Amino acid sequence: MTPRVFQRNRRWDRLARWLISVGGVGVIGCVAVMLLLIVWMALPLFGKPHATEVVPAFTAPAGTPILAVGLDDNAEVGFTLGGDGFFQFLELRTGAVTARVPASPRAGKPGVKLTGVSAGRHLEYALAWDDGSWSLVRIAFRSSFETGRRQILHQVEILAEMPAAVTMPAGGAGQMRAGEKGGAVLVWLDPSGATFQVRRSVVKTDLLGNEETAMATYEIPVPAGSVTAFTVDLAGSTLYAGTADARLLRWNLGDDRAELLEQVRAFEDGRRITALGLVFGDVSLAVGDDRGGVSTWMPVALYGEGSSRRMELIHTLAAHASPVVEFPFVQSGKQLLSRSAAGLVRLDHMTSERKLLTLQGSQSLDAINISNRGDHLLALDRNGLLHLWDLDAPHAEISWKVLFGKVWYENYDRPALVWQSSAANDDAEPKFSFVPLIFGSLKATFYALFFAVPLALMGAIYTSQFTTPEVRGVVKPAVEIMAAVPSVVIGFLAALWLAPRVETAITGVFLFALILPVAFLLTLALWMAIRNTRLAKRVGRGFEFLPLIPVLILAGAAALALGPAVEKLLFAGDFKLWLFHTAGLRYDQRNSLIIAFALGFAVVPVIFTMAEDALSNVPNNLKAASLALGASRWQTVWRVILPSASPGVFAAVIIGFGRAVGETMIVLMATGNTPILDASPFNGMRTLSANIAVEIPEAPAGGTLFRLLFLSAVLLFLLTSVLNTAAELIRHRLRKKYGQF
Amino acid sequence: MKPSTNIKSPGFWRLGEPFVWLTGAAMALVLILAGGMLVVVAGNGLGVFWPARLEQFEMKDKTVLLGAVTQRSAVRNGVAHSRLQVKVGNRDLSGADFRWIDADAVARTSAPPDALLVERREFGDFHGFLVRSATAGGVDGLRADWLRVRAEFAGVAELGKAVSKINDRMEGIRRDLLRLRYRNAPESGSAIRGCLARQAELKVEFDRLVAGQTRSLEGLRRHTATFRDAAGREKEIPLTDIVRFCQPNILGVGGKAGWYLEKVWELFFAEPREANTEGGLFPAIMGTVMMVFLMSLFSFPLGVVTAVYLREYARDGWLVRVVRIAVNNLAGIPSIVYGIFGLGFFIYGVGSGLDRLFFPERLPTPTFGTGGILWASLTLALLTVPVVIVATEEALGAIPAGVRHASLALGATKLQTLLRVLLPMASPGIMTGFILAMARAAGEVAPLMITGVVKLAPAMPLDGNFPFFHVDRKFMHLGFHIYDIGFQSPNVEAAKPMVYVTTLLLLFIVLLMSSSAILLRNRMKKRYTLGSF
Amino acid sequence: MSDTPLILPIENPVLKVSDLHLYYGDSEALHGISMGFPARQVTALIGPSGCGKSTLLRCLNRMNDLIEGVRVTGSLQLDDIEINDPALDVIGLRRRVGMVFQKSNPFPKSVYENVVYGLRIAGVGDRAVLDEAVEKSLRSAGLWDEVKDRLAESALGLSGGQMQRLCIARAIAVNPGIILMDEPCSALDPRSTARVEDLIVELRENYTIIIVTHNMQQAARVSDLTAFLYEGHLVEYGPTKRLFTKPLSPKTEDYITGRFG
Repeated sequence: MTPRVFQRNRRWDRLARWLISVGGVGVIGCVAVMLLLIVWMALPLFGKPHATEVVPAFTAPAGTPILAVGLDDNAEVGFTLGGDGFFQFLELRTGAVTARVPASPRAGKPGVKLTGVSAGRHLEYALAWDDGSWSLVRIAFRSSFETGRRQILHQVEILAEMPAAVTMPAGGAGQMRAGEKGGAVLVWLDPSGATFQVRRSVVKTDLLGNEETAMATYEIPVPAGSVTAFTVDLAGSTLYAGTADARLLRWNLGDDRAELLEQVRAFEDGRRITALGLVFGDVSLAVGDDRGGVSTWMPVALYGEGSSRRMELIHTLAAHASPVVEFPFVQSGKQLLSRSAAGLVRLDHMTSERKLLTLQGSQSLDAINISNRGDHLLALDRNGLLHLWDLDAPHAEISWKVLFGKVWYENYDRPALVWQSSAANDDAEPKFSFVPLIFGSLKATFYALFFAVPLALMGAIYTSQFTTPEVRGVVKPAVEIMAAVPSVVIGFLAALWLAPRVETAITGVFLFALILPVAFLLTLALWMAIRNTRLAKRVGRGFEFLPLIPVLILAGAAALALGPAVEKLLFAGDFKLWLFHTAGLRYDQRNSLIIAFALGFAVVPVIFTMAEDALSNVPNNLKAASLALGASRWQTVWRVILPSASPGVFAAVIIGFGRAVGETMIVLMATGNTPILDASPFNGMRTLSANIAVEIPEAPAGGTLFRLLFLSAVLLFLLTSVLNTAAELIRHRLRKKYGQF
Repeated sequence: MKPSTNIKSPGFWRLGEPFVWLTGAAMALVLILAGGMLVVVAGNGLGVFWPARLEQFEMKDKTVLLGAVTQRSAVRNGVAHSRLQVKVGNRDLSGADFRWIDADAVARTSAPPDALLVERREFGDFHGFLVRSATAGGVDGLRADWLRVRAEFAGVAELGKAVSKINDRMEGIRRDLLRLRYRNAPESGSAIRGCLARQAELKVEFDRLVAGQTRSLEGLRRHTATFRDAAGREKEIPLTDIVRFCQPNILGVGGKAGWYLEKVWELFFAEPREANTEGGLFPAIMGTVMMVFLMSLFSFPLGVVTAVYLREYARDGWLVRVVRIAVNNLAGIPSIVYGIFGLGFFIYGVGSGLDRLFFPERLPTPTFGTGGILWASLTLALLTVPVVIVATEEALGAIPAGVRHASLALGATKLQTLLRVLLPMASPGIMTGFILAMARAAGEVAPLMITGVVKLAPAMPLDGNFPFFHVDRKFMHLGFHIYDIGFQSPNVEAAKPMVYVTTLLLLFIVLLMSSSAILLRNRMKKRYTLGSF
Repeated sequence: MSDTPLILPIENPVLKVSDLHLYYGDSEALHGISMGFPARQVTALIGPSGCGKSTLLRCLNRMNDLIEGVRVTGSLQLDDIEINDPALDVIGLRRRVGMVFQKSNPFPKSVYENVVYGLRIAGVGDRAVLDEAVEKSLRSAGLWDEVKDRLAESALGLSGGQMQRLCIARAIAVNPGIILMDEPCSALDPRSTARVEDLIVELRENYTIIIVTHNMQQAARVSDLTAFLYEGHLVEYGPTKRLFTKPLSPKTEDYITGRFG
């Protein structure tokens, strides 16, 4: 070998050493990258919301006092509504006024002024004119590409007009909602706060197509106290009022009269209710008081009292420092915007009870409006400056409490743990509790291990200790091959082959559990009778399983054959009906028994193989010592082999647990995937892993659901990782321990 | 001290023999479970293609059904109550392929010798009788007609291939145009004009071919035969719609075997039909094979290198322990987590990055930023790495230390020892790892579902168009096929036979691979244990 | 001296071996051994590696059953019981014929539990009985003073010699008549060896001991009778003193003078 060759070899060797080391250690990198990435994807869920002012505050259009402000979806065009009844539209990036539009033909007439404005739905305003008449107007924006570039067009739509009435002099607060075909309802509170007046205009079309407006007016006396705040739902059918002595009242607004549904005392500590507002969806009522407290209330069904409902305190949000004066309408999710007397504006999320943002201008903020998607907010401060904020609170509905705690959702009777990621309406409250999913995972795992662990461990004991090496040499590879059966195959067979059969023969399945021990004991008795024959002695050892195979099969066949008769005898011929009537349990076709069996089938080979290895690796001299002391083979196994191998056996169970927790296809196919909290073996479940498979196709990238699925992947990762690391450490110790033998 | 002379041992129960039997029962049960599963799959899957006897059921209510019995149930609600599930076919006439009938309601059963089983391209099988065909002579005439039409139909199919080729070229030009426009090439420039001209040219050719194809098809569809079902309703079926037909009640064993083999051939080499519930599995088989192949390219080297590092290079210490723990974790992480990692990392991370870098003109239509065979393979590669590592480590560990020492003592470098001595010696073990990894990858579904598998891929990852292997394409997979047709199919009952066949095939492939790997490993173990004496 | 038989006949042997053949698969490891073992004597089995001495020993309590592919013919009689009978209850046999192994193999349990193991599996649960047995056995094994304060500690913490004596104590605890020892000192240092040897001599009072050793000095020190095996044949069997001083067979002489083995 020439020195040059030698040197070249050395160089190659060094290079290879370096590459191989990098590759080897790279595995750590793979695991780390995996964990980091899924954590990274989930992390924004817990990001801190923040608001930035898009442009420096600029002066609002001059003129009459501004009663309301608003902006379009893209925060490009805004408007102000002045006391003269004119909307002034402006470009929000520059502050330049582009148009001045009268809110109604009435505006601009000399002497006509607005006495008040109340906001309803998004960009919808009830205008109170000083002649006592009311208008309901809406600002509509739309994009246009007619001129070649995008333009935001605006339009003032008059939804309804309500002529003046003697009983409702100018002044006093009112709220107006649009009804069908130009109809409307106006709820007006007497300045004294003692009575409401409701005017409802209904537009009817007769057969000839002539429209006719009918007007109905009625009065609602307030039973006690004076009303300090009120609100009407978007449909104009329910009136909520709060009083100075902290009572909440609720009326159903009929066509010609109102029905007081209830009145409850909200607070006992002398607070005044100063503001009411409905959270988008019209189920939850936001209540603000003079101590700055913000809470939400909801009518909850009462048990045993028919359909009656009572307002209950559902969420208490962080308090303002000064009285709450207003809950401006928010159309995005279950967010809650509140303004305090000090002019501070706060954005909270009702479900998660998270305090998201606090906004303040150079002076107290008087008029605010949040964009349709909730990502921009326009506010006017007392100095006449307009502020435009960009709001970033992307996953406001998520908090640890929502994920793991009980939350009282809208239309629920009590706080609950629910996973319901999507709904038909966009005003539905998404329910993101991980608890039913974790419960489902644990339930599936528990049932599977309940079936698999005894079977696998006992099978492993027999294989490693009692049977002959020849049998072992067949059984062990067979079980290893069983481990290779794809889970999709198991899931398919469990769901489409096994589940319907178990459903029809469920009694037989239970009967099997009874017949099996009997058959087993009978076999033993028979064996005891013949075991002292020479033949039995010679053949018996290590082949006990052979006579047991037909026994097991026969027991199964007998159970299935007897099942119908027993079902007729005990359960009047229909177990499922009986179960429902006696225990109130529903029987799902794809239930936990099926899962126990199918998932168990997948886990058995894992536990079996590892436990068998652990048991076989116990040094033979321990076995010899025990046998030499006259211990029977079972005593040797029970007192020496099992205790010595117990860490390995334990590790096998841990690995099996990890496998069962993470298994996806089987649970996806063989359960109904309903996320319920019910331990009954006759129901299914939804597991964390199956949830990912079910939901990820529906989850838009970057959305809350998408990130939550990554978070559940993090949970699964950490769980299995802890289990596997523990198992590896245990095995490591075991290896070390037996190193000394 | 008086030594005991009593040799009578305590009884059967005290010695714990019943427990031994109990463990024996557990092992027996495990074997029964494993065997039972095989029996169920084989029992349901093997018989699917065997043409079943068509029985004619004359019911007491005077209706007549012609079909093959698929299931019998003896009991309902605890009452002995014999019912039959009959595949009656004729989905277009009667709405449902399968019927449950009460055995009591049957007045007479017969097996008419002239009953026909017609497999169609649409609406599933037709069960009935031949009324007339263009060429007289009963079924033989029908067959003669049908063979003629089929030959012509093959010509039309050739035309279809030409159409799809032109289609591909047009797609290529469309992309060129996109790219040119994205780069702000002048609309009047030669490049764009050339593209447009070629596009127009191809469009003319395309339209001509399609028109020709439609015309010939229409002509062919005029060849029909008239059948009637058991109830006497007549049905005219274009011969092009007939895939194959036979008279199962008078078909001999040889004929049935021929039918069976034809169906098996179709299974392996034909495209699926009828929402995947009929026809072949060719795209799914190809997709699985390509995916496993691509996965191997990534998984094998990383696995072997890591194992070599652990066994040959690393010194025992905390680092090795961490690597081992990492390997164990990789092996234990649920496959769906791999899937979601693949989605987040490969598709939304790397894939989107590639799209922005190389295919910005196609955005927002993603090229690599969506599921595809490459990403699915990479995801599965990660998942199977531990299998390779464990097997390779085992194989290297089984080589006696003396071999290494001998090689090193002769002046070989570590690399030379590794390449010339250790790896060749360990190769059977490494092969085992490879096979096991491939088996695992072939059977895994959950991660694929979110990284690029589809129920029906429009084009295969491997085809005759440049660059031949399209790693960005979505693909079909046997395991997902099972899930899809078993669970997402509108007609589950009609899909069942196909699911069983697919299951049988997948199980056969996976079990064949893993059992050969395990046998190989065990044989190797034995060799080394003998060798160490 | 010609009247001295090569194989010493034993009167009233506790254990009688006649024409014992043993096969590992196809290869014959013991070629028709016939000999008797006298009660309350120490019999040493010596011979070069692979001569079958350990195999013979393991036949005596059927430990060969644990090795696959072993086939035994011939007769082995303990009193009137045929050990080789496939229908024999080996558990009862092993309770009468205890064994101490080459490498000490205490269970990974406490010292106490190691000693009472045999009693526990026989169903003895009375604490007083167990305590007494522990003390007695450990005293007999000369270990009591060393471990009496460490009974609850793991046996794996003892020294090599102590472990081996613990194994002897464990074997004694079940009160067997016969103790088989398979090179009990081969893994021990000289001091520990000496203690175990002393122990063997003491135990001789109550037990029949059969010991396999490759150490001829040891055989000479502890045994009353010595059997020399060579390639599966019993070459010579007689009183230890005579065998070591005046071997009858040239093979024996070669072996004990160290010419091979």
